[in-house]
Amino acid sequence: MSQEPPAPRPRPGEVPTSTREADQAWRAFAYLLSGPLLYGGAGWLLDHWLGTSFLLPLGIVGGMALSVYLIWFRYGSR
Amino acid sequence: MSIVALAAEGSTYETPGVADFWQPLIGSGAFAITRASIVIMLSVAILSWLLLAGTKKLTVVPSKGQFATESAYGLVRNGLGRDIIGSHDFLKFVPLLFTMFVLILLNNLFSVIPVVQFPTMSRIGFPAALALVVFAVYHAVGFRKHGFVGYFKSIIPAGLSIGLMIPIFLLELITDLFTRPVTLALRLFGNMFAGHLLLVLFIGGGEYLLLHGAGGLKIAGVGALGMGFVMTVFEILVQVLQAYIFTLLAALYIAGAVADEH
Repeated sequence: MSQEPPAPRPRPGEVPTSTREADQAWRAFAYLLSGPLLYGGAGWLLDHWLGTSFLLPLGIVGGMALSVYLIWFRYGSR
Repeated sequence: MSIVALAAEGSTYETPGVADFWQPLIGSGAFAITRASIVIMLSVAILSWLLLAGTKKLTVVPSKGQFATESAYGLVRNGLGRDIIGSHDFLKFVPLLFTMFVLILLNNLFSVIPVVQFPTMSRIGFPAALALVVFAVYHAVGFRKHGFVGYFKSIIPAGLSIGLMIPIFLLELITDLFTRPVTLALRLFGNMFAGHLLLVLFIGGGEYLLLHGAGGLKIAGVGALGMGFVMTVFEILVQVLQAYIFTLLAALYIAGAVADEH
């Protein structure tokens, strides 16, 4: 059994690290849903109005790319 | 498989489906009092009684009831409230979190409690209403903390290039205003709905196979009932877990709004 050091007790007014990590995980998941949903939806609407058919897949892929970029930017690059 | 075979024989077994969850008892249409409404009112009555009884005569050496109440309260207060929201602001959210936890927990457990046997949260309206409360609370907290414009400013991460600001802002906005509350409600609804459907299928189907099946199908019925028992135990785990997850996420959302930057 390896002994793990006890987690440092957060000072008053400070959000503990475990919270930040859990929040990041759930937020990343929400981003991955929101990106394709928002930009895929925008693509679908534009397709509908302009009579084209390529903007929906473009929106989904672009939205996904933006989500992944945002997750990387927020949590991976610092 | 066996159900498909039975259906082919022109038997009367009806596979359980969405319709089984709509059970109006009094009246009909949108304002009908359904089984779910009765169950949630029952849950409120039972919880009030349990919590009042558990905290009536407080002693230093707690009675069983007081101990159980204090353990559940301690779990939410310390495990979900203090550890997540942070010791500075958490106290005022504990009543909300505790109410949500015990309400969802009991209503989920009602899925397998004999006689009641109906998970309230398998009707989307109930988890949607709870998610709406969480939604209102965490945005209200955010507005109060950062101001109206400041709150919207605070959702854009610092150091982003100008060109990406608008698409990212929209993405953040949809995440906060739509995805998070909707997934919060859908997660609870989906788990309770699917879990209960599975139980109805295994136990109802098993019973039918045992009583009406021919020869070998009776053995399949015993198997299905056995699976029904296993799934019941598994469902109890899911029910407790989902009540916990819902409260955990509510606390995380509030923590995000209370924090200086999210």
